[in-house]
Amino acid sequence: MDIVYVLINLVIFLAFAPLFEGIVRKITAKVQSRMGPPVIQPYYDIIKLLGKENLVAGNWAFTLAPMMAFAAVLSVICFIPFGYKANFLAQYADVITIIYLLVLGGVSILIGALASKNTFAMMGASREMVTMIMVEPVLAMTFFVGAMKVKSLGIGDTVFSVLNNGYSWAVGLMLVLYLMALQAFVGKQPFDIAEAEQELLEGPYLEYSGPNYALFKYAMMLKQMFYAALFVMVFIPFFYTGVYALDIIIQLCEIACVYVFIALIGSTNPRLRIDQAVRYYSVLIVLALCAVGLSVYGI
Amino acid sequence: MNSLERVLKVLKDKYGKSIVNSESPAASRLFVDIKADKVKDISNEIVALGGRYLVGIGHDNIARDGNIGMIHTFGFDKENSILLLRTAVPGSNPVMDSITNDIPGAGWSEREFMDLLGMKFKNHPKPKKLITADDWPTDIFPLRKEVPYNLVPPSAEDVAYQLDECPEGCSIVPVGPFHTALHEPEHFAVYVDGETIKGCDYRGFMTHRGIEKLCESQVSYNEIPFIAERICGICGSVHATAYSQAVEMAAGIIIPERAEYLRVLFLEIERLHSHLLWLGVAGHLIGFDTVFMQAWRIREQIMWLSERITGNRKTYGVVIIGGVRKDITKETEEDIIKVIKKVEEEVKTIYKSIIGDSAIHKRTKGVGYLSKEEAIKWSLVGPVARARGVDIDARRDHPYAAYKELKFDVIVTDTCDVWGTLVVRLLEIYESINIIRQVIDKMPGGEILTALTEEIPPLKHGISVVEAPRGESVHFVITGEENRPDRWRVRAPTYPNLQAIPAMLLGDQFADFPIIVGSIDPCFSCTDRVEVVNVASGKNRIMSKSELEFISRGNK
Repeated sequence: MDIVYVLINLVIFLAFAPLFEGIVRKITAKVQSRMGPPVIQPYYDIIKLLGKENLVAGNWAFTLAPMMAFAAVLSVICFIPFGYKANFLAQYADVITIIYLLVLGGVSILIGALASKNTFAMMGASREMVTMIMVEPVLAMTFFVGAMKVKSLGIGDTVFSVLNNGYSWAVGLMLVLYLMALQAFVGKQPFDIAEAEQELLEGPYLEYSGPNYALFKYAMMLKQMFYAALFVMVFIPFFYTGVYALDIIIQLCEIACVYVFIALIGSTNPRLRIDQAVRYYSVLIVLALCAVGLSVYGI
Repeated sequence: MNSLERVLKVLKDKYGKSIVNSESPAASRLFVDIKADKVKDISNEIVALGGRYLVGIGHDNIARDGNIGMIHTFGFDKENSILLLRTAVPGSNPVMDSITNDIPGAGWSEREFMDLLGMKFKNHPKPKKLITADDWPTDIFPLRKEVPYNLVPPSAEDVAYQLDECPEGCSIVPVGPFHTALHEPEHFAVYVDGETIKGCDYRGFMTHRGIEKLCESQVSYNEIPFIAERICGICGSVHATAYSQAVEMAAGIIIPERAEYLRVLFLEIERLHSHLLWLGVAGHLIGFDTVFMQAWRIREQIMWLSERITGNRKTYGVVIIGGVRKDITKETEEDIIKVIKKVEEEVKTIYKSIIGDSAIHKRTKGVGYLSKEEAIKWSLVGPVARARGVDIDARRDHPYAAYKELKFDVIVTDTCDVWGTLVVRLLEIYESINIIRQVIDKMPGGEILTALTEEIPPLKHGISVVEAPRGESVHFVITGEENRPDRWRVRAPTYPNLQAIPAMLLGDQFADFPIIVGSIDPCFSCTDRVEVVNVASGKNRIMSKSELEFISRGNK
């Protein structure tokens, strides 16, 4: 029976991630006085891409990369306690595993870009790498702030830290930092620097098309939903009911709100340059360290 | 004594022996004929006296006196005058000194006539192909009169443009021939060290349409304005007006006052839509699509207005030699007032949100820096120059049509970067709206067209400048015998501005490349006007899907 909760996680994420992407597109369109595509357009996109011929512009690593990215993000989703229900897999892993798996997703993008040997993809890969190095620490600190409180790196303990122990200054600071890093986590403006259509023509994904690209796109959407869900699970535990199905519905609604935030920030900002972004990230990292420090002292 | 007389006096004192002749058909124009060997010294002297290099014009005069002519033109913006330095070299050995080393803005003008007329310029710093296709034979010069306009030489394989040498430690990023940041085919090879731009080579002129050649050999005077409008998809009226004015000047035609006002009206409507278009594109290039969509939404009203007035959203087709073809009614005037009022309000909103947006400041301030001195040296024009403190505007400096009677400010900033060009263009939108209001108020009644009754006398020279949204357009015409010009030279504003792009890019981040190139509002089609397109001859054949795939995958 344990496996059911894992499956529910997977099904919900796979089913809803494109929908949220559609919501972002729709809101962006409204901000821009456009009609915008139908909310379910991302489903069409993925189905269409999956139906296309698979063009390979590199060696075996080129084909492997999108599968790896997709698998990595799916594994992350298996582990998380969605609906405030830590499933049985959580006992075999801790938050470090989640960070590793997320980095693996980023590394797959690099591998794909490098395997395609395209100048623009290479530049995109180098930007992706910089972004990864600079924003992953913020995610790690988010976990650590919780972990310090409960003196455990277990997934359930860490994520439910605020739910069980309430807010502290450290958590408040981390919440703000998480929101500030959110656009970078999900790769939206002003931090869609690696793809940068106008400069790098989608950067790392430039040579990808068809099913391979669909996998990358889907993995990206899942990753975005993961970051939004993580925010909701860690920082917004107010609506916890204890009823599994109800909690899932509430969390989905909250995630939708986070997506509205993402869409509004994304549509009202130009893209930053990588050097400007790095300066921004460094400030975030320093502040995140402060938050961890605060939580060490129990503030 | 006006400036031209002063300049002429200095030149006569210093280079009396080399000056063959001088004439001044109008107070604002001075033609000086000189011997070719002193062209460099005299050009430098003119620039030292305050002349701004406009354009070089090469023309084939072999059939008449065995010479190929080269005319360097200089503007004196403070005094509304233009000096044309005419020189000629024998067609059998067309060699003259290059003036590019001292006047970099002349670089393309000289390269152009190396390709098209087979001229040779001694000591040119970059004597590479500019205009003709890579496989165009090196001994056929398309602008020579004996070359037919529809000549199609056989295409060749394995000839490619040799890019400039890449600086050590840099890698080449090819931007183009097709790239999302550029809306027309052209090729920048950008040399980057990591993310920093260390250099750039440009190979453009990929969609040459041979418009000048076509018009010099096939069509008649009053058909050309319609072709001229098609030089550019955005500032068509500018080219039609500039051409018409050049012919009117050469032939001494006076146009009715109402026509002058109507020309201003169409030029300013065009500027409105062009600046809004640019604003949108600029937003897109820095990854800010909301600006893009909102600016274009506002612009759309102007497009609809143009459609109601002229029948076309773009390419109005109203300006011809002697005046304009379409008049506007009282109702149209009200319509225009109503639309520009709405546009003004909406632009105000967008202006407020952009001017205070720190994220936009981050992406544009200090980006694409070029000092005022450099801007003057490269002969930059339009908003690109005005953003760098160069106070020039052909509407005020060389008044044409009805601009003399209209009041408007020339917007100048001194930030010397992309932000400056943004501010200049935004504020110019208000000036354009202001001008349109004045036009509607002041426009006199009467005729709108002076009919051409007499034949236009041959071999007269006329030059006119028109301030396009992107800067000043220069058109030069030598009238011809068969009811068409003998030579018609177009210099669009992108022509000088694009030449300075490598200087603007130097030391900037690659991420800023799109907005820096975008900041000049490049109109590559405006520069691509001279050559005959190299089309493979033979029968048409539809290729199958598998054949296309075969080719697109490198014949694998």
